[in-house]
Amino acid sequence: MQVFGPNELVADVFQKDLCVGCGACTELCPYLRNHRGKTGMLFSCTRAQGRCYAYCPKVEVDLDGLFALMFNAPYEGKPIGIHRKVLTAKAGLRMTAGKFQAGGVVSALVTYALKTGLIDAAVLTDRKGLIPVPHLVTNPEDVTKFASTKYMAAPTVAMVNKGQQQGYKRMGIVGTPCQLTAVAKIRANPLQKEEFADPIGLAIGLFCTWSLDTRRLLAFMADKLDVGRIHKMDIPPPPAEIMVVETDQGRVVFPLSQIRALVPNSCSICPDLSAELADLSVGVLEGRPDLNTLIIRTPKGEDLARNAERDGFLITAEMPTENFEHLCFAAGNKKTRAFEQLRERDLVNTDGGKRAALRVNASTLKRIGVE
Amino acid sequence: MTVLLTGKKGEQHLLMGNEAIVRGALEAGVNLAAGYPGTPSSEIIENLGLVAKDRNLYVEWAVNEKVAAEVAAAGSFAGLRTLATMKMNGVHVASDFLLHLALSGVRGGMVLVACDDPNAHSSQHEGDMRYFAPMLEIPLLEPGDFQDAKDLLKWAYELSEQLRSVIFFRSTTRLSHASGQVVLDELPANDRRAEFRFDGFILDDMTGIVMSLPINFKHPQLQQKIKQAADLFEECPFNTYTGPPNPEILVISSSASSLYSIEAIHLLGLEGKVGLLKLATTWPLPRKLIQTHLAQARQVLVVEEVLPFLEENIKALAYELAGDIGAKPIFGKRDGALPTYGELNPDLVAGALSKITGAPLPQRPDSYQQRISEMIFFGAPARDITFCPGCPHRASLWSIENVLQMDRRKGFVCGDVGCYTMALHPMNFGSLKTAHSMGSGTGLASGFGKLGRFGMDQPVLSVCGDSTFFHAALPALVNAVHNQSNMTMVVLDNSGTAMTGFQPHPSIEKNAMGEIAEAIDIAKVCAAIGAEVALCDPFDVERTQEALFQLIEKKGPKVLILKQMCALSPEKKGFRKYEVRVDPKACLGEDCGCNRLCTRIYRCPGLVWDKPNKVARIDEIVCAGCGVCASICPAGAIHKVLSENDKGREAA
Amino acid sequence: MTPLKFDPYNLVITGVGGQGNVTASRLVGNMLSLLGYRITIGETFGASQRGGSVKSDVRISSATTFSPQIPKGNAHMIVAMEPAEAVRVLGDWGNPEVKVICNMRPIHSVNVICGDSEYPTPEQHQQWITDLSRQAWFVNSTEEAVKLGSPIFSNIILIGALAGTGDLPLERDLFQTVIAQRLPADKVEKNLVAFDIGRAMTAA
Repeated sequence: MQVFGPNELVADVFQKDLCVGCGACTELCPYLRNHRGKTGMLFSCTRAQGRCYAYCPKVEVDLDGLFALMFNAPYEGKPIGIHRKVLTAKAGLRMTAGKFQAGGVVSALVTYALKTGLIDAAVLTDRKGLIPVPHLVTNPEDVTKFASTKYMAAPTVAMVNKGQQQGYKRMGIVGTPCQLTAVAKIRANPLQKEEFADPIGLAIGLFCTWSLDTRRLLAFMADKLDVGRIHKMDIPPPPAEIMVVETDQGRVVFPLSQIRALVPNSCSICPDLSAELADLSVGVLEGRPDLNTLIIRTPKGEDLARNAERDGFLITAEMPTENFEHLCFAAGNKKTRAFEQLRERDLVNTDGGKRAALRVNASTLKRIGVE
Repeated sequence: MTVLLTGKKGEQHLLMGNEAIVRGALEAGVNLAAGYPGTPSSEIIENLGLVAKDRNLYVEWAVNEKVAAEVAAAGSFAGLRTLATMKMNGVHVASDFLLHLALSGVRGGMVLVACDDPNAHSSQHEGDMRYFAPMLEIPLLEPGDFQDAKDLLKWAYELSEQLRSVIFFRSTTRLSHASGQVVLDELPANDRRAEFRFDGFILDDMTGIVMSLPINFKHPQLQQKIKQAADLFEECPFNTYTGPPNPEILVISSSASSLYSIEAIHLLGLEGKVGLLKLATTWPLPRKLIQTHLAQARQVLVVEEVLPFLEENIKALAYELAGDIGAKPIFGKRDGALPTYGELNPDLVAGALSKITGAPLPQRPDSYQQRISEMIFFGAPARDITFCPGCPHRASLWSIENVLQMDRRKGFVCGDVGCYTMALHPMNFGSLKTAHSMGSGTGLASGFGKLGRFGMDQPVLSVCGDSTFFHAALPALVNAVHNQSNMTMVVLDNSGTAMTGFQPHPSIEKNAMGEIAEAIDIAKVCAAIGAEVALCDPFDVERTQEALFQLIEKKGPKVLILKQMCALSPEKKGFRKYEVRVDPKACLGEDCGCNRLCTRIYRCPGLVWDKPNKVARIDEIVCAGCGVCASICPAGAIHKVLSENDKGREAA
Repeated sequence: MTPLKFDPYNLVITGVGGQGNVTASRLVGNMLSLLGYRITIGETFGASQRGGSVKSDVRISSATTFSPQIPKGNAHMIVAMEPAEAVRVLGDWGNPEVKVICNMRPIHSVNVICGDSEYPTPEQHQQWITDLSRQAWFVNSTEEAVKLGSPIFSNIILIGALAGTGDLPLERDLFQTVIAQRLPADKVEKNLVAFDIGRAMTAA
């Protein structure tokens, strides 16, 4: 994997408006920081190579390399990536009640992973008004505080960096596809230094079609409701075409067309809907607001799910074929659209010394239908 | 310094120009002096303050130059001899009052000493205050050397009382801050009494009402005084001529430029051909004196700083005299013989004389010049001015930069006048995006903060010092509060007027004479006006940034006071709070995660980059022991330990 | 009054703001003034104190008062408290006859500290200064001052070094008289020691 430095990061990401605010480049040094959802460079840095570039999910992402690292398999461009099982699931009876989004599967898995010591800390994301705030959680009882979906692009990976500096060696992370792409790059330790060795014990992915830019969302919503009193945000499945925001003073509904204007530019080049670089991935289940879709990808993920179910933290069931096909269809579409965008903007497999956003083997690209 | 008090008549002493002015004021029996710190004038009030008790003087650092002039004028109206001092900019600040003072007249002698700074060695402008003389119609004197600085000042008081007019006494950096030998005279008894009389005929100079009205009476009266001044100037013993009776070139000069002229003539060996008319009375011009010398000369070169003030006045006069004496070539700035900006020196004047006469300029041998050119670039790396080690401004601006950069809404800082003005320069964070005169930062911010209705959402900050706050920023803050402007004023309170030499000001418990004074609390004033006020120690970088983040999120006018004493204050100078060292094993140096944050970005002079070992290192000679670098090091490799002194103090 | 080697004798004292440049020039000026010479000292202080370059021009003459600025290329003696400043002054005021006393302790400018400029090695500085002067003395006044108790003695040591060259009539008694005028009695002794240390550095 090619590693460049902060000046290239500025040119390739910030100046091209491709930053998705995942936080992977931040908390590593004094120069890159995320504040109220926006990442920026505070002072100049003259290094030719840096972790900031190495970890960014929007530059020089070597998909084949990352898949080899996670799964010992090539990247074949399958709609929902590599999977061992795809199930429906919900939190088990032994799981503490909480304000879960849908089935509460993520909270259950993280709680269980902490309780059993599979992970030494969990990187979760909280919300303060409309500002996403990453946290490092060590007490399993605290996990449910971080339940409920945040639609804003959150700098969650910043907390992975912080956790690594604090000495955690088996962190769990719950993240969106871009965040987990960054995490996979971190795990690859591209600068090859001992102090930067893989600190992750478990990666749980969240399905994502697109996210929302925090600053733009704030500007949009601030005069329409009291952002300090939001307790839930939801985008119900189609054909609803709305976003629902529940506050202390009632619910506010926004047409999705207005919300889509707040999506970061970067989401259009993301080929990953189901968070493929994870041990397990979780999302909604169409038609069943009380359940989740659970994709199990790695042996570690499989063990965790099985043990959690055995110990009453998880309940799983078969996934109806229709739902599965819908999921693959949606994921496949996002992938194809993204690769088309990448090709059009000359960001995939560039040659002649030009830096790319993504590199993938040529045959997979062909299979997806993008030359 | 003490020689200013104890020196006896006939003794010769090496005095700084400003010290000579002080001695002149004492010999003239001045009773009251007021000023505002401004380089190169500050030493005058400083030294008068030191001898105030012994000489029964009242000496004041006023809140600004306008009030300083008013305080001095009050003394004069009550019959005392008074002095007002300021740098060039201060005359602009005082000018509205002076405009009226010229018309109202004075009673006891009053002299206003104004110090220009050609080349802006310690200023943001090299303005030439002499143009105030004809504009306000106030007579102008310029001492030409150190003896003049003393003796001409005494003469100025005689002049002032004869005309009942305030007198401008103009010095420049190369006189005020240079030193030369001065023969002293005696100090008089100081027994004037103050009484303000106003019960006489309304238009009487000494017993009437002190005002600029009625114009139809007072203006012609003033112009008559100016005519009288011109007559007196014909006999002024400080206008001197040296040189041949019929010089090829007559150099007309004033102030320090006359010293350069003497030296330039000497350098070129032109004493036989070039004469020098050194004028001490530069407005109004003594017509007959000038006529005599113009008539005897073939050509004229006017040598002055900074603008062609004297040159233009002489040319106007020469035109009127042309019928009698003929039209003479007059060289100077307007024809390019001398530059119209920057300060002069003997080389520039010699250059002009060389061009006119053809006399060759002495040069260094070519081979030597060649070797110099080869080595100068590398041998003497640039040495930009920057914040002193231990300066609280470095820490304050560091926090401001971090916060504004993290915030990413293109927030900016409107600058003001003080040591923090150095933050204009990219070498010193480059945070200031505007910089003009005293208090203008907050005035601009008040304006910027109302532009939200035109779509501007950038956070607006202003900075000003504790002295600047009282001088001129206060009305701007009132404006911001009254108009509910969205801005944050950051008061950098380092407990003194630092850039000019650490003089006291209204929030300090001491005055110019070293006596106890009423200290006005800046935070209380801001709160009373109605701003939201926060107070932090800028050395506590984390808390300062937290406070600033909170403030810039809010609407309306806010004040953040960053209070920490200046590193050069008498209480701190030479005393280190912490012993600081870098652990070379923990230092990340150029590695990812640091890349030389402390030396490359924070840039405190107390830190140096040890190139061979690729680590940062503390320069123990330079480090002031403030410990801030220890809190910003990303690797925690800088350690600070309380110095023995502090431990001793805490134990005691 | 001893005739001067050159009239006017142009002495430059240079260093970095805060090193005691002004004090040094005043002390030398006062000493020579007591002997009857005409003295003018030109300096700029204020902003330059903030880590910038500072320079005092001391004009010494048996008969005439000269201006506060030495004409370019006309320095006779440069006393430098910092090596880069010695070079900087030589740039405009040096000439084949100039002599230089240079304290070798560098003070890195902010331009050097941040990496924009390189600071030359002591060997490079010494080579350039030697090449561009009639005679040069390289001393460690900062080091000796620290041994004495504080770096602020550095400028006094350099005055001693200037006296030691014999180019100007700066006798020990004269120094004692002048320093006693400025300082309380208990501080005079240490300054005399500093003076002597400096004098030994350059005495033939």
